[in-house]
Amino acid sequence: MLEVLKPGLETTIQDFPGRLGFWEQGFPPSGPFDMWSHRLANALVGNDEHAATLECQFLGPSLRFQRGAVVAVTGADMAPKLDDLSVPLWESFRVRAGQVLSLGPVRIGARSYIAIAGGIDTPPVLGSRATFHMAGVGGMDGYALKAGQVVPIAEAEGTLGCRVPEEFRPEIRAKKEWCIEVVAGPNDDWIDSAGHEMFLSSPWFLQAKSNRTGFRLGGPEWTFSEVATNKRPEHGQDPSNILDHGYPMGAVNLCGQTPIILVVDGPSTGGFINPYTVISAAFWKLAQSCPRDIYRFKAVSLAEAQGRRRHIDAICAQAVSG
Amino acid sequence: MTTIQILSPLPGVFYRRSAPGQPPYKEEGAPVAVDDVIGLVELMKSFHEVKADSAGTVTKFLVDNEEAVVAGQPLAELDG
Repeated sequence: MLEVLKPGLETTIQDFPGRLGFWEQGFPPSGPFDMWSHRLANALVGNDEHAATLECQFLGPSLRFQRGAVVAVTGADMAPKLDDLSVPLWESFRVRAGQVLSLGPVRIGARSYIAIAGGIDTPPVLGSRATFHMAGVGGMDGYALKAGQVVPIAEAEGTLGCRVPEEFRPEIRAKKEWCIEVVAGPNDDWIDSAGHEMFLSSPWFLQAKSNRTGFRLGGPEWTFSEVATNKRPEHGQDPSNILDHGYPMGAVNLCGQTPIILVVDGPSTGGFINPYTVISAAFWKLAQSCPRDIYRFKAVSLAEAQGRRRHIDAICAQAVSG
Repeated sequence: MTTIQILSPLPGVFYRRSAPGQPPYKEEGAPVAVDDVIGLVELMKSFHEVKADSAGTVTKFLVDNEEAVVAGQPLAELDG
């Protein structure tokens, strides 16, 4: 059991791949935003990659362990400490009963993952422990951690002294510019060639009005093709309006002139076009970026998108060395 | 007199006022008590208050209104 002394900023329980299969009923997948770091955290402590971890955002929690456990912290650097001593990222270590693991304000990246051998043992909802706090589903009573709560942990021996070599970690640096891979569509035909050129050649900045629902960007003006400007009235007045349709995970959802990337807790349907879709293998970069970071988008084929995902899957399956 | 810095607890965008058109929380030269709000940091669609953890007088703000900040960045200096 873990006692929450300080909750941090919206620290949530998440599991991989999240709550799949219910999107048509409005449940997004949720799950870890940086699934690469989450899976490696589990691998370090000997858990199945589906075990639930804690996702810490920007400001980490302080947690007292009521019994001993094997733990690993991955992802963003929030200067984790065990009592007063620093503990390394990307390595499994022993926590004794009564010790306090604390993560502070983020130094590099944005989201850290804490895995505990055995995994977090809250009741699954629709097959997943992932927190979707807007609907009060999953997690600890539906929401982010609160001070005074006690988080149940399943029993397991764990694997001590494991480490992820640097070449297998996501490259989370103090960089402010990221290359984000996208595939064209589903509504790329609504944008004219100048609009495509503009999107793929311009720097876009991440607005602070961004969270696990959507990543709101700032940048230049879009231009549209005749599909958008000469359409039937039921599609709506603005060029970016379309008759309500389903949204893909990772959609670059164009709301008027503002692109919003729909991410893990995003909406399933709506009336805006999605000219591009961010590939799942690039989600970790979104997850690890801070407001005002710069994105440059690179169009890739579906085959390359799938290849990049398989590459991360392969790393997560074999990266940990003991 | 010692110089004390107030640090941003979070990365995000710094605001010196509670809403557009409102006066700043603190002008330079104003007295500050412990737990007084000196500004807001916007992050994840929320505004988080930045509070002074020491008393003193604001000598200067080190970042502009609506400037992006990183966690731990000094926002203002106090003489206290």
